[in-house]
Amino acid sequence: MPFSLTDFLQALAAGILVGSAYALMCVGLGIIFGAMRVINFAQGDFMMLGMYAAFYLTTGFGVLAFLGPYAGPIVAAFLAGPIVYGVGWITHRFIMSRVTGVGAADSEGAGAYGQILVTLGLSLILQNGGLIVFGSTPTGILTPLAHSSWEIGDILLNKGRCLSFVVSVVVAGAVYLFLSHTRVGKGLRAAADNTEAAVYMGIDVDRAHRLAWSLGVGITAVAGGLVASSQSFQPYVGFDFVIVMYAGVVLGGLGSILGAFWGGLLIGIVQQMATLVLPYQLQNTAIFVVFLLIIFLRPQGIFGRLSERT
Amino acid sequence: MRTRAETRRQRWAILAVAVAVLALSLVLRSAYFELVLTEVLLWAVLSLAWNILCGYGGYFSFGHAAFWGLGAYVVALGLIDFNLTPWATIPFCALVGCVAGAAIGFPTFRLRGHYFALAMLAYPLAMLYVFQWLGYQELALPMKRATAFLYMQFADPRGYVVLALGLLVATLLISLWVENSRFGMSLLAIKQNEPAAEAAGINTWRWKMLALMLSGALAAMAGGLYAVVLLVLTPDTVFGILVSAQPLILALFGGVGSLWGPVIGAMTLVPLAEGLNAELGSILPGIQGVVYGVALIVIILYAPEGIYWRVLDRISRRRPAPPAEARLPVAATVAALPQAPAGVGDLLVLRGVGLSFGGLRALDGVDLAVPEGGLYGIIGPNGAGKTTLFNAINGFLTPDRGTIEFAGAPITGLRPNRICRRGIGRTFQVVRAFSRMTVLENVIVGAFVGSADDTVARQMALAALDRVGLGGRANAIAGGLTTRELRLMELARALAPHPRLVLLDETLAGLGHDDLDGILGVIRQLRTDGVTVLIIEHTMQAMVHLVDHFSVLDHGRLIAAGRPDDVVRDQRVIEAYLGKKWLDRVAAIETPPGREENPAAVLSGFKEETGR
Amino acid sequence: MTTTPTRRAINAGLALAGARALGAIAVPGLGIASAAAQAKSVKIAMIAPLSGPWARQGQLLRMGAEMACDDINKAGGIAKLGGAKLNLVVADAGASTESAKDAAQRLIAQQPDLVGGFGSWLSSFTLAVTEVTERAQLPWLTLSYSDAITNRGFKFIFQTSPTADDQARNTLPTALDLAQKVTGKRPKTMGIIMDNTASPVSFVKPLLGGGIQKLGLKLLVNEVYTPPLSDATPLVEKVRSNRPDFLLLLTSAMPDCKLVLEKLDEFNLGKGKVPLVGNGAPFGVPELAKTIGTDLLEGLLFSVANWPMKGQEKFVADFKKRTGEPWVTQDGLCGYGHVQILKAALDSAGAADRLKVAAAIRAMDLTTGPAAACFPGPIKFDAKGRREDVPILFAQWQKGVPVTVFPSNLAVAKPFWPTV
Repeated sequence: MPFSLTDFLQALAAGILVGSAYALMCVGLGIIFGAMRVINFAQGDFMMLGMYAAFYLTTGFGVLAFLGPYAGPIVAAFLAGPIVYGVGWITHRFIMSRVTGVGAADSEGAGAYGQILVTLGLSLILQNGGLIVFGSTPTGILTPLAHSSWEIGDILLNKGRCLSFVVSVVVAGAVYLFLSHTRVGKGLRAAADNTEAAVYMGIDVDRAHRLAWSLGVGITAVAGGLVASSQSFQPYVGFDFVIVMYAGVVLGGLGSILGAFWGGLLIGIVQQMATLVLPYQLQNTAIFVVFLLIIFLRPQGIFGRLSERT
Repeated sequence: MRTRAETRRQRWAILAVAVAVLALSLVLRSAYFELVLTEVLLWAVLSLAWNILCGYGGYFSFGHAAFWGLGAYVVALGLIDFNLTPWATIPFCALVGCVAGAAIGFPTFRLRGHYFALAMLAYPLAMLYVFQWLGYQELALPMKRATAFLYMQFADPRGYVVLALGLLVATLLISLWVENSRFGMSLLAIKQNEPAAEAAGINTWRWKMLALMLSGALAAMAGGLYAVVLLVLTPDTVFGILVSAQPLILALFGGVGSLWGPVIGAMTLVPLAEGLNAELGSILPGIQGVVYGVALIVIILYAPEGIYWRVLDRISRRRPAPPAEARLPVAATVAALPQAPAGVGDLLVLRGVGLSFGGLRALDGVDLAVPEGGLYGIIGPNGAGKTTLFNAINGFLTPDRGTIEFAGAPITGLRPNRICRRGIGRTFQVVRAFSRMTVLENVIVGAFVGSADDTVARQMALAALDRVGLGGRANAIAGGLTTRELRLMELARALAPHPRLVLLDETLAGLGHDDLDGILGVIRQLRTDGVTVLIIEHTMQAMVHLVDHFSVLDHGRLIAAGRPDDVVRDQRVIEAYLGKKWLDRVAAIETPPGREENPAAVLSGFKEETGR
Repeated sequence: MTTTPTRRAINAGLALAGARALGAIAVPGLGIASAAAQAKSVKIAMIAPLSGPWARQGQLLRMGAEMACDDINKAGGIAKLGGAKLNLVVADAGASTESAKDAAQRLIAQQPDLVGGFGSWLSSFTLAVTEVTERAQLPWLTLSYSDAITNRGFKFIFQTSPTADDQARNTLPTALDLAQKVTGKRPKTMGIIMDNTASPVSFVKPLLGGGIQKLGLKLLVNEVYTPPLSDATPLVEKVRSNRPDFLLLLTSAMPDCKLVLEKLDEFNLGKGKVPLVGNGAPFGVPELAKTIGTDLLEGLLFSVANWPMKGQEKFVADFKKRTGEPWVTQDGLCGYGHVQILKAALDSAGAADRLKVAAAIRAMDLTTGPAAACFPGPIKFDAKGRREDVPILFAQWQKGVPVTVFPSNLAVAKPFWPTV
């Protein structure tokens, strides 16, 4: 074996911790995909907005500076959610609602792919608008959490990533409960399962979609806020994550919230553990190989239903 | 499928565009504009290549950068490591792209829809990291001063325009050929309804693979030329996500699935992006991206299917619909309908066919023998397994147990298109039309099995339409037909290749009285023509008058078979249909003596009461 | 207003016209001849990424270049050309090789009177841009490290940074000497953590091809990753389990530097426990201090092509005042220096002609003056377009600022070898 037990456990721990942030991002994307069947290329850029929101709340304008370098970044990540939710609401109200919804429910239809162009356009606007507004200098949230850890035997667990793990699990859990136990959440899922039927059942599909879209980008923004305290970023950072998000969501099964969470986590674990056996450079190749393997063996994803395959 | 005149017009249009581009490149006299023009042409080729699989076939790919990048690296590495000229390596790229297409398609065509699209994304990205790992972070094509032309290095940038234009014209002509042949028609059918295409005898797997291989070959050649033009390669430049997105953006913007859409997209967006870079990029960096993004969104809100289709809609709204094509006499090349040899015995034989979904036994030991030339019916309540039985016969499903023989040869486990080729046609419970194609085109797709010659297939389709009495509607778009017309069209599609057996899945359902009579007439005529018919229904009344023989299916088992009059009196049948309670009531009803009893009326009377 | 973005940008053109008009008013007594000289200007080009992921570096380059133009024009322009003003034409190289090449071709086509230029930061962009400028015979300066740039036999490319090859040959011996001098012990083992972009890859090529053995070192860790990094745990875990005497870090993007440095600290290997030697400017950028804090950086030693040296105090102060940047990095300095080299070449060529400017650069041997002050060693290029006798610079984080510490004649502070 080319690696020791410590190496193995350390990589596993890193995989789970990094993966938890991916998992939360994937949940956000999964909600949007599940409800609207829209491939949103701008998801990474909404996450970038979440990063900047968290940054300005702590380091930039220092609204949350009084919370100190430990609690501040976590609270800021939470608050990034509602802020980006608002941005999402506006983009859906004025743009997305015109290319999605009841009229475009049949996502395999020839015209519905126009949505992809709209999200690509949104992505360009957010990235380049971000450059104009936020500037080109990479930035990050300064916190001692990023470079301190708890020790369990030989294994070191990064404090910032651990807190981020907890927040991810809590937020993802809350979203899951919300979608499965509340009226609004059930309406959303009904609209997702069968748009046409939902219309007949009296569900306002457009409203349900708006909620899904805003909630989806908001949750991904929370994940972004969490990542912002361990990684530095600039306005074009979204691209680095959007692929990971899609891989996670497809692995979990398009349309499954729980699946998206496990899919994202799995991506993180594969990414970090691949370095034990493969050259480090191929860690992302490993993601794609595992991704392809899983969808060939189980085309509907880990948690997807068979019917969604066709 | 276009008419000849229209095809000729398209060829002239391609020639006109080629001449216009050449003229433009002569007029421009600026190396910069020539470079941008070359890029426009190359991106147009990539977008057209993408369009073959994704526009015509409906299989969206987010991974065409894989082919583009492979082509670029073949040319670059060929020149750097082996001193091979691009004149040789670019044609070789076609082979590389073709092989890559086959290698990628083989596993990936197990997937459909969004899964396929997103899985395709993984290939170029995986390649990107591999090429970096191999140490090809930056490749610069060496400058060949002495033998520049031999290595495709032109002092005059118009050389590249000419080459890229040549590639574009070739790609346009290939696309046009695809559109006008059974290749394109089959892809369109796959896009609109893959199972129906398969059942109509289209070898969907083969056409999809061919489409991806052709698409990959063209994309790789364009990528190879791109390397020569750009001279510097990085994995990100040719395998990156932006490269994969580009053909998609251009085609969607211009009009996906059309010949000119990708070209329109490339000619609009590539110069627009570059112009914005030039005019705004250094004043307020980033603003060019914002303006480009806004432009994309605004145009798509105005023309969700792309500019080409939007303009076409505009024009066709102003113009009246084209008149029905002049009726051509059915050519003598169409073979006369095969006459069933009288009394040869059973055409279709099922022995102990069983099929389970998870724990549910959908078919359970079905034995069935359909005599040649007969009109055979299967009835059964909803959920009895009737459609499953048809799916097992025509190959959508493979039985777990038992065998199916057709004309004496086993067909168990064959793919649907093979079974169709053997001479079994089918229709669907819910009509599976290719709704954006004309009635004639729908039927032509079915006729391909019958003849390798497209012209003959067309004649066969026209003949089939005449047979069902839909000849006058040949040029109508299938999406606008009535239920009766749709059923007839589907029947014509099944009949076009002259099958020996047709499977009709609830063809009579949902039709009014007048419509019903028309279709019944057509079905009866089939028998006269010697076609064996197996029909499923749950409406009993029409059936008992129609068929010679029928079987009753319940919970996946055949519970009765025989002449209609006998079967409807069978207690098990009544029980299956109406439940035990009704059986008791039937027993209680006294049949008035002397009156001729109509068994179907009995059952249909109960049906009305149960509200079925 | 020294920058005209493009010839066709009307607003900018108007502003420029306005500036000229103001200039004419400001010197009313000089008469017609002088006014004609005033109107004369010499165009030089800068192509760098101003949007996209590398926008920050391009903007720093631009700040330096604009400042140089202003300084030169304020001091009377190009003396040999009758006081002609330098006019900087800027183009955005964007985020792809294609857009970089387009930008180069555009400038060449639309600005036929360019006499020289510089850029484009990312070595693949520089490669693409110089394919165009070479054919147009436009002299081009670059700070990109990659050897490939000057390995193509081009005549009009001039690389002001020592090549990655040179940097690699000099960095380690210098660092080892320093360690020995300070601690009395020569390190015996080392580790390498690097990304697989072009510069680090060409940097380690001579090291892995026998260079390390020749230095009497043993390589314990050799990890190459593809940027961007998502987490450095497995990388640093290898360092923890092998414990080399020092670590060579070749991370060419700041976000990856941050992840590695923080992870080293988290694994209790930071702050000098495993001494670090970096290579490249990202180790000295202000945003690194802002995102990980200066305490983690104290003592970090890195070799770099260019960094503010002794004698540049006034320039540094002016730059900081002008831009609000906390200190000058390689990019700002090179932007300034490249303009100064072009100016010196124009002065010695005595004509606004690109071939003559190119010839002047080839013949150049500057050891004094504003251009020479911006670069370590003499400004003198060999046949390939590489500079000769370039000493490698080392900078070190000291009290929250990276300062040049080696070689001692250029250093502004004394180096120390981080010890625990």
